[in-house]
Amino acid sequence: MSAIHELTQKNRPGVGLTVAHTAALVGLVLGTGAVMQWVVGPAAGIYPATILRQIGIVAIAAVSLNIVNGYTGQFSIGHAGFVAIGAYAGGAVSFYANSLGWVGAYDPAGLLTPGHAVMLAGAAIGAGAAGAAGYMVGLPSLRLRGDYLAIVTLGFGEIVRVLFQQTQSQVFDPQAARALPISGWWPPPLGGAQGFSSVIPYGELFWIYAALALTVVWCYRLKFSSSGRAFLSIREDEIAARAMGVNLTRYKVRAFVLAAALAGLGGAFYAHLNLAVQPKDAGFQKSFELIIIVVLGGLGSISGVLLAAFGLGGLTEWLRQPTSVWPAALVALALVGVVQAVRRDIDSRARGRAMGRALLVIGVLTGLFEGLRAFAAWQGFKLDDIRIVLYALALISVMLLRPQGLLGTSELWLVPGQLMRRKAKAAAAPSLRTAGPADPAAAPATGVGGMGGGVTEAGGDEGWP
Amino acid sequence: MSDHTQANHTADHAPGPQPGATDVARALLRAEGIGISFGGLKAVQGLSLAVPPGGLDGLIGPNGAGKTTAFNLLTGVYRAQTGSITLDGRRIDGLRPHQIAKAGMARTFQNIRLFGNLSVLDNVRLGAHVRGRHTLVGTLFRTPAYIAQERAILARARQLLGVFNLLSRADEPAKSLPYGDQRRLEIARALATEPKLLLLDEPAAGMNPQEKRDLARTIQRLRREFGVGVLLIEHDMGLVMDICERITVLDHGEVICHGVPAHVQNDPKVIEAYLGEPG
Repeated sequence: MSAIHELTQKNRPGVGLTVAHTAALVGLVLGTGAVMQWVVGPAAGIYPATILRQIGIVAIAAVSLNIVNGYTGQFSIGHAGFVAIGAYAGGAVSFYANSLGWVGAYDPAGLLTPGHAVMLAGAAIGAGAAGAAGYMVGLPSLRLRGDYLAIVTLGFGEIVRVLFQQTQSQVFDPQAARALPISGWWPPPLGGAQGFSSVIPYGELFWIYAALALTVVWCYRLKFSSSGRAFLSIREDEIAARAMGVNLTRYKVRAFVLAAALAGLGGAFYAHLNLAVQPKDAGFQKSFELIIIVVLGGLGSISGVLLAAFGLGGLTEWLRQPTSVWPAALVALALVGVVQAVRRDIDSRARGRAMGRALLVIGVLTGLFEGLRAFAAWQGFKLDDIRIVLYALALISVMLLRPQGLLGTSELWLVPGQLMRRKAKAAAAPSLRTAGPADPAAAPATGVGGMGGGVTEAGGDEGWP
Repeated sequence: MSDHTQANHTADHAPGPQPGATDVARALLRAEGIGISFGGLKAVQGLSLAVPPGGLDGLIGPNGAGKTTAFNLLTGVYRAQTGSITLDGRRIDGLRPHQIAKAGMARTFQNIRLFGNLSVLDNVRLGAHVRGRHTLVGTLFRTPAYIAQERAILARARQLLGVFNLLSRADEPAKSLPYGDQRRLEIARALATEPKLLLLDEPAAGMNPQEKRDLARTIQRLRREFGVGVLLIEHDMGLVMDICERITVLDHGEVICHGVPAHVQNDPKVIEAYLGEPG
């Protein structure tokens, strides 16, 4: 028996901890939904709440894509295909359940009507269908890397799009739906090229944000688990990963299935928010929107992707009627100042340089934008017209200034800890420059001796050479 | 140099692929006549090896002799076209690399292959991965079995880091470690897989004499405290002759000599392979 197995058997906890974790999960999911539904939604107003719902769905899809593209390092560009499968499945289930008269009339005030139960079941079916599709895409991905995998996944999205175009026309009449023989349901009446419409609006803030919270918590648990480390190891070095016993087949397929299932879940809510699904929702343009978010947020970073999803979603809306950016620029400068002030791993000159750089970048960007606003006012055109150009410029400048994405591979809540550690290191070794490259920082003080430092053994069984 | 000479190995002078080239009664690793060609190039042919449990053997040869290819054959990176490999009595040729790792063979790499962006701790925790069962349901719902296993993996990884004196840097990214620490971390990660046999591919490459001496002690302590057999590729003859019990010499993909260090050192074929033909 392995040492791990023995240790596992010896320290097996009761179910209490699992119950507590599950209670926390349920609480977080319902709590997020409740806060969005009853606090944020009413405070924001009807139109912003709709935007928030859209962003929430995009965030679900992007966070799930992050499992494949971020954790596992496989470049998939067919994620919208999974979203569309979930959208069609979820939308069709709740539409036909309604027209077959299973759920009663739609009640706009309810949050948990029989219709919602069917909607949730549809979302589960959508997730399952997308997960199955993910399995089929995951299998060929085992033999392909980089560009080749990207082409296969791109092809997958297009295949999904074409398949949905080939479906039968939608049966809108409840009488006709009830009269339809079993054989009439194949090929499925999903609207063909016209798309599937008249989905019942069960996509409330509550459910969308509950689903987002579930996705985020699961992705978090996954990232910081043994399975997550297996994903990350594949991204870092496939050869080393398999030499250490990681079953590449299993984990690549697992990443695809999980990402696809969560995307399908998001897709089901998309159908209930948008009330219509088009074949082009599976196309590569939608996939690229998701990839932009993931790359911008930082491949592998959950909080980074969330930031990017909400930031980009907010940016596109704000650019419709841009206000002055001076206040935001001042806030940004203050934040940079605080961060630079608490850093102790750099001396005052380096701190001054960093502040100067930040001032320059923020100042130039602010000046450019304010100039553009003044120019637009003078010339009498609306910035809304060149919204997409500005959006593209914003993307380009972020990628130039932070090519690793907003948060790199780290997480928001880990950043303070990393800063603290750098501080501790700087305190232990006041000047890193004087230490030789082969000399680990402060070897005698911290007990890091041995081969790296060429220091003799610390004594006893404490340290190995 | 020859203080590791053992009487029962001195009789073995004959090089070549015949089975049981080393008269070890019960070998931990036994490769018999393994070979692979890439197109017309016979990278390795008729290689036979036997490492006893807890043994410390060397595989040497000039550049391009096929040493790393031999490691890749043993660890399943390449599939052997001829011959058979058994580890602890179990056939492992034809298995895939992760299955071989599970069967009990771990390796390090000539050019260090750590998971650079992962923390030092996570590198070792990934090594322990192969000894666990990782279900999706367990991970997403944090079942008691999952929690216990994660704790066990963490405890084991911290213990190994302590042994290698890397605990104080556990949270740093592996790529930020100095070179020598990276080499030791790679060994720690390999040990976390709980191997029976550890393959070290040029562990002393790029080290200074002091670091090499430390490495030699590390390797000897490995066998003592973890009971693993070690097979190492190394170019540093001093190190190899010092610590290895048996040495196999490869040249042009073939075994040209096999035996205890004292024997190998004086074999004319080995000298010729390294220095060229006399005259």
